[in-house]
Amino acid sequence: MDSRRTFLKTLSGAAVGVAALAGWPAWAQTTEQSSSINLPGEDGMIVRSQRFLDLETSVEYFDSWLTPVSHFFVRNHMHEPVERNAGDWRLTVGGEVDKVSTFSLRELTQLPVHSVVNTLECAGNGRGFYRPQVPGIQWQKGAVGTARFSGPRLADILHRADVKSSGKHVMFRGLDEVPGKVPPFIRSIPIEKALDSDTLIATHMNGAPLTKHHGFPARALVPGWIGAASCKWLEEIKILESEFVGNFMSPGYRFPNQVVKPGDSVKPEDTHVVTGLNVKSVISGPLDGSSLKSGQVTVHGIAWAGEADIVKVEISIDGGSSWNPATLGREQSRYAWRLWTFSWNAKRGDYLIQSRATDSRGRAQPMEAAWNPSGYLYNAIDQVKIHVA
Amino acid sequence: MSHKNSVILLVLIALSTPAWIPAQNSAKLNEELPAGAMQQKATTACLECHEARIIVQQRLSKAVWTKEVDKMVKWGAVVDANDRDALIDYLSGNFGPGQPEYSAPRSAQEKTTVRSTRRTSK
Repeated sequence: MDSRRTFLKTLSGAAVGVAALAGWPAWAQTTEQSSSINLPGEDGMIVRSQRFLDLETSVEYFDSWLTPVSHFFVRNHMHEPVERNAGDWRLTVGGEVDKVSTFSLRELTQLPVHSVVNTLECAGNGRGFYRPQVPGIQWQKGAVGTARFSGPRLADILHRADVKSSGKHVMFRGLDEVPGKVPPFIRSIPIEKALDSDTLIATHMNGAPLTKHHGFPARALVPGWIGAASCKWLEEIKILESEFVGNFMSPGYRFPNQVVKPGDSVKPEDTHVVTGLNVKSVISGPLDGSSLKSGQVTVHGIAWAGEADIVKVEISIDGGSSWNPATLGREQSRYAWRLWTFSWNAKRGDYLIQSRATDSRGRAQPMEAAWNPSGYLYNAIDQVKIHVA
Repeated sequence: MSHKNSVILLVLIALSTPAWIPAQNSAKLNEELPAGAMQQKATTACLECHEARIIVQQRLSKAVWTKEVDKMVKWGAVVDANDRDALIDYLSGNFGPGQPEYSAPRSAQEKTTVRSTRRTSK
């Protein structure tokens, strides 16, 4: 080995050691290094849990309208289903119907295909910022992503089953592997949302078949609603007369009806099911703690509002004393986030940069998110601190 | 490595530290439950279903840990009734609100990413 190659090898090895000592994040290093976790198909994701898998997107990846699948957050409540032959998979539709139906993947993909660009966010995104802290995956800013989901409309599937007039709710059951006596992951949505022309049984994401982590071969896609509504690894649709009763409808995924003093408990009867997403923005650059040169600085990020539209994003560079309009990106779709930018001639100093989104329903991000015992729907004004030299 | 190479190495590392990487605590790839009288029993009871990282990232009061332990027992965690209080003490002692913030590791980068090309939709 020549001296240059020896040096490069030494450099590579030494850099790993120094990086570890200096506290560099693992993702800043290469795949050959042992200080990051090898998860095929997942690129530089924050690993909240490996067993079961929960992966968060780091904010610097929020710089495209569509999130690549390799950067799309993964939320699993339990273990993923064991590998199986897609040809053996069946989706059954039963309950309050005149015709119980079964679909193979082939039959499902022969139905008319509809596509929806949707921002999918875990209800618990931002849970890690609530104080006092609440139990659950301690997501920060990245349990959210936007993708083009494609597949048949749920309404087309339900019409084939002839839903009875008594059918008021649509239940989804996934194939998640349930450990111990954990209740199975079953939830339901009201029939009105199920029949919405944008509610899908998605088989594709960004033009490719769903990956296993994202629910292959098929998942529900309930646009504008919390991620938990969009059940993965779907195997059963059941039409019910009333809302499904089970852990993941109550006490899971419920929000207090009234403002709660942080740390207080809430009675189940004083809560409601979490459905649509909040209005929210995230700054994807500059990154928190970064140091920049003085001059033109572009602050950029994302903003979304579930079933509502983003009407404006405002940026403050003076800790909230004054707010300036950001420019919204051209790309938009009913349930998708908007990219935004704000350019500013930065002089030397330390800055607190904040972003605040407002939606078509008049909702604006608050200074403090509404604390709740499960840590759902965090949407406080986002902020980063930077140094300009 | 020669002294000259060592100097070059340190300079290169200093120059190549990206300003946009925020300071973080070092993240552990493999989490284990901390030493203590209940370490083994907690490992048996909790890690049968999920990894230690799910516990290690929590910062919860004793009251909340109590609810969590009782929920997990209901969901199948095997905890002897005589060990319940000690397990709650162990978890709230190690993963209470006063503990330093948890730092999660990252997955490996699949390929070299070029950030400047990411601003267009696909």
